[in-house]
Order: sequence, then structure tokens, then C-alpha cells
Amino acid sequence: MKPNLSVSIAGVDFANPIMTASGCCGYGEELAVIFPLSKLGALVTKSITLKPRLGHPSPRTAETSSGMLNAIGLANVGIDKFVTDKIPFLEKQKTKIIVNVAGSKLAEYIEVCARLNDFERVDMIELNISCPNVDEGGMEFGADPKMTEKSISEVKKVFSRPVIAKLSPNVTSIVEIAKAAEQGGADAFSVINSLVGTAIDIETWQTKITNNKGGLTGPAIKPVALQMVNAVYSKCSLPIIGIGGIQSAADVIEFLLCGATAVQVGTALFIQPDLPVTIEKELKAYMKRKKLNSIDELIGKVRKY
Amino acid sequence: MIKPTADDALLVRKRDLKNNYYSITFKPFTSAKKCKPGHFIQLQIPKTDIFFRRPMSIASVSSDGDIEVIFNVVGRGTKLLANLEKNDTVNILGPLGSSFSNPKKNEEVVIIAGGVGFPPLMYFATELVKSKFPAKQIHFFYGGRSKDDILEKSRIKKLGLNFYPITEDGTFGEKGLVTKPVERFINENEKSKLRIYSCGPTGMLKAANEIGKKYNIPGELSLEAPMPCGVGICLGCIVELEKGGHARVCAEGPVFQIGEVKL
Ligand SMILES: Cc1cc2nc3c(=O)[nH]c(=O)nc-3n(C[C@H](O)[C@H](O)[C@H](O)COP(=O)(O)OP(=O)(O)OC[C@H]3O[C@@H](n4cnc5c(N)ncnc54)[C@H](O)[C@@H]3O)c2cc1C
Ligand SMILES: Cc1cc2nc3c(=O)[nH]c(=O)nc-3n(C[C@H](O)[C@H](O)[C@H](O)COP(=O)(O)O)c2cc1C
Ligand code: FES
Repeated sequence: MKPNLSVSIAGVDFANPIMTASGCCGYGEELAVIFPLSKLGALVTKSITLKPRLGHPSPRTAETSSGMLNAIGLANVGIDKFVTDKIPFLEKQKTKIIVNVAGSKLAEYIEVCARLNDFERVDMIELNISCPNVDEGGMEFGADPKMTEKSISEVKKVFSRPVIAKLSPNVTSIVEIAKAAEQGGADAFSVINSLVGTAIDIETWQTKITNNKGGLTGPAIKPVALQMVNAVYSKCSLPIIGIGGIQSAADVIEFLLCGATAVQVGTALFIQPDLPVTIEKELKAYMKRKKLNSIDELIGKVRKY
Repeated sequence: MIKPTADDALLVRKRDLKNNYYSITFKPFTSAKKCKPGHFIQLQIPKTDIFFRRPMSIASVSSDGDIEVIFNVVGRGTKLLANLEKNDTVNILGPLGSSFSNPKKNEEVVIIAGGVGFPPLMYFATELVKSKFPAKQIHFFYGGRSKDDILEKSRIKKLGLNFYPITEDGTFGEKGLVTKPVERFINENEKSKLRIYSCGPTGMLKAANEIGKKYNIPGELSLEAPMPCGVGICLGCIVELEKGGHARVCAEGPVFQIGEVKL
């Protein structure tokens, strides 16, 4: 029997569990030249904000051991241009579309999500709650359980389809934040966003990126991500999209075993832009070899000591 | 955007160009036929933990699909590239980015090259000559610190174009910086018939940009930036535009119009 790679999250059906992560695939236009996006379970857009953002000045990325730092600074076209220039392209793609939304005030999240509600082909929203909240002195939305709960519940009021809470690893207890998001009415979790790090040039003594610190991503963070996926899986009941350092089908399988229903590939796309195609092939071969019929047979099946 | 490929290719030729410069040629490069001067490729350094690919301009493409890069050893990645041997395999992603546009038939082509900005311009001049563009209408200004920084001298001369080497220490060609002979040439010629093409260190690009603006000569500059992806998806390689906003050096560039970018 042919293995079935399809998965379902909050009533949305995906052809396979492989998605591309926010900020690592733009709005899909470039990847569509490289491979048919129908090969993806879903595409997750760059974070969209109310107003367009240029982001931080260059240099805003740096290579690190087994990964990278980025402080792009949420550079994006803003909701108006996203609606007029990007949605028409995305609507034509034969894959599920998840729009990632960011903001510096709750009112901004709500306005952007309300606008997106009009577009049926926006299958889901992923809320990037790892943003500093200007109204609360710059503390991240996703670092405070109350703020997390409130932002999700307010967005749920204006967006009628499923909402994913993208959790930050930079918190004392990710499970506590996950529970707050669940309480707020989230339909799924994305676990994890980037860690925080820095790097310094020892010749000039200068930090390597203009923002001085940035998000650490890539294979370096995979063990952290796996642990956090499993911690959330053990304590909460919502489906999880696993993210962090995925470079191969083997990595995907680890995430599924830890409790993820689907995964997102981010930084690794920078080295191999058609990686999702390879992963899908390898994943099928693995399932055949292990005589598995569906992805369900892997989810959360990690054997622990 | 041209659809790039990412495939393994064999190193078929390596030449030590002295002074830490190397030429390496790979075969087969799946997308050889799609390459144009100005395009670049992303090389995955084999047998290491180096995370990102390294961007390199295409220096030549042969009719049977060989692709050549010429590079300077500046860090870990380029050192490892220089240590590769014949029959080593390297994964090549490309062709990427924008390419140089062709001059009009009656135009005089002013090439301003320096350092590792030289390879794409040699490729450009070679293709122009191949396409029957008169070699005597090509003026190749090539600047370096010293004699050993001027690479592939005989190869350039063979093209039959006008070659103006310039070195800071005067060990080869005219002594000084390229700017002076370039401005002299411009002043001796009908400015409306000139078109500039430049690639090199930031100082040289800035000078070429200023010269173009000052004399109202159109032209193109090929830029560099740190490039995590090279295909336009990470937004890590931006430059500021004169009209405001950003452009991605890997996608809208690396070739930009004179006056387009804040340098
Ligand atoms: C479109 C494009 C075309 C290029 N073409 C050529 C070419 O034909 N020949 C050639 O020799 N080089 C070329 N380069 C530059 C080349 O990519 C870098 O020299 C190389 O990536 C350095 O790798 P490394 O691991 O040796 O150095 P690293 O150890 O990564 O860095 C060493 C030093 O080089 C600097 N550096 C690293 N990457 C870049 C970069 N992309 N641009 C400028 N400085 C950098 C670092 O800041 C550091 O000071 C090109 C760059 C771009 C963006
Ligand atoms: C250059 C870059 C830009 C990113 N931009 C965003 C973003 O706009 N919104 C967001 O929620 N996550 C963003 N991320 C985080 C990724 O979506 C992902 O959570 C993280 O990179 C971990 O996965 P990876 O290790 O596979 O890259 C970005 C990551 C990178 C590398
Ligand atoms: S290098 Fe990634 S967008 Fe240019």
C-alpha cells in the first residue's frame, strides 16, 4: 500500500506535513519558480504587519555554527500591499496558505487579521507573538500568559478560520504559555520561533548584525525545539506544528515522534530551496520501509526511558 | 527569475593564479546554457560544517557546459575551495540574480574592474566579442594594488579589446587609481556614446557611480552583499535605493543601474 502523507489540523487538510516557515519563503513567488508549491502541505508567509516595514539596516544576518542569526526586523510589504500584490498570486497556488501576522500593539494584530478574514484562501493565520508589545513597555506578547490569551481570543473574534499560536522558546515555561493560548481559543501551536543570540567580529570588536542581537535558527536549535514540542505535546491537547533546524526527512520524523502533526522548514531552504521536495520523497520511502500507512502512526510515538 | 538548478558537479580544472587567487572549473553544470554575464552561482563547500553556500560570479561558461569561477582566498570557505582537488564534487545552485544588459551597437563600452569584480566583466567582454560586438569598442580598465592583482592578462589581451591596466604601485600599467584614466578617457570621447560597466571593491563602485552621474553616462554596477540564500527568500542581502526602500542584491541585483543604489 502507498503511504498516505496527508494530515489534518483543526479541520484543515494538508497534502503532506511539510510546510515552509515564515520569513524563509517570502510570499512564495521565488520558491514557485524552483518547484511547484503543490508539493507543500502549506506555505507560511513572512510576518505581515499593518504598515509596511523596511526592517533593520544591513548587515542583518550572520552565519554561526550550524545555523545563523537574523535580525531582519519584520521587513514586509504591509497588509495593503499584501492584499493587492501578494494574495492574487497565493490564491492560485495549489497548496494551503497560512498567513503569519505580527504587530507592536494588539489593535494592529486585530486589524490585520480582520482584513485577512475576507480572503477564503487564507486557510489559517499563524500569530507571531514573539513581538515586543509597545503598550506594555516592550515585553513580548508571547512572554506573558495573560497577554497571550488575550491576543488569541481577540483575533479569534475577527478571524473565522483556525488560528495558530506560534510560541517563543524565550520564556520560562513554554507549557504555561501554550496553556494560555489554548485558553484563549487557539486551534494549534507552532513550536518554536527563533532563540536569541549574538556574534562578534574579533578583529573589529563589533557585533556582526546591526541590531546587536538576533534570532538563532538552523540545525543548532533542533534539540531545543524537539524538547519543547514534546513538552507541549505532553501537557496540551492541540495539534502542534514542529519547527527548528529541520534539514531532512530524518529530522521531520523526530519532530513527528515528539508529537508534531506537521513541520515547517526554515533556514535550510536557504541552502537547498527545493528541500521540501526531497523531504517528501525520503519520508515516503521511510514509511514504506517501516510499513506505515499514515503519518498518524508516528505522531507522539517517541519511546522514552 | 530564471529557474535555478542545484546539482553536483565535478571539479575538472584548478589553476593557481598566484597571490591567493584561483580559477576552478566544474562540469557538468546543468544550467550552463541559461547563464549570462553578471549571473552568479552559490557553491556548497564540501566536506565541512560551513553552513551557508558561498556566492561567486560566473567567470566563463564553455559551449559544452563547463563553468568557471575565479576567486580570492579571504576566509574559511574560500580557503577550503582553494584546497579542492580534481574530481572533487561541489553542489552548485544557479544561475542566480540579474545580468548585464547589452550595449547599443554604436556605443563605446567602458569596463571598470577591480579585484574579484574582474571575473564577471571578463565573462561579459568575452560574450560581447563572441556576439560580434566590435572589440575595439570595448575599453577594459582593470585596477589593482600591484602587478599580481591583475589576473588573466593574456586572456584579456587575446580578446583584442583595448586593455588599460592600472596599479596603485605602478608595477604594471599606469600608476594610481582607475578613476583618473577613466575620467581622462571620458573627456576624450563623445559622452553620449559611452556606457559604463563596473564591478569591484566598494570604493571603485562608488567612483564609477559618481562618474556616471557626473557625466550623465548610463551604465551598470554589480554589487556584493552577504548572501544567506541567494534566491530572494531571506531578505538578508538588502541595499538602500536612491528612490527609497530596499532591493535584494541577490534578486533585483547583483547588477543595478548607475544612480539606482545608495552606495
Ligand atoms: C554576487 C556575488 C558574487 C561574488 N563573486 C565573487 C567572485 O567572483 N570571486 C571572489 O573571490 N569572491 C566573490 N564574491 C565574494 C565571496 O562570496 C566571498 O569572498 C566569500 O563568500 C567569502 O567566504 P569565506 O568563507 O572565505 O569568508 P568568511 O570567512 O565568510 O569571511 C571572510 C571575510 O570576507 C567577508 N565576506 C564574506 N562574505 C562576503 C561577501 N559575500 N561579500 C563581501 N565580503 C564578504 C567577511 O566579512 C570577512 O571579512 C562574491 C560575492 C557575491 C555576493
Ligand atoms: C531570516 C529569517 C526570517 C524570519 N522571519 C520570521 C517572521 O517574519 N515571522 C516569524 O514568525 N518567524 C520568522 N522566522 C523564524 C522561522 O519561521 C522559524 O521559526 C525559525 O527559523 C526556526 O526554524 P529553522 O531552524 O528551520 O529556520 C524567521 C527566520 C529566519 C531565519
Ligand atoms: S541572499 Fe537571501 S534574499 Fe538575498
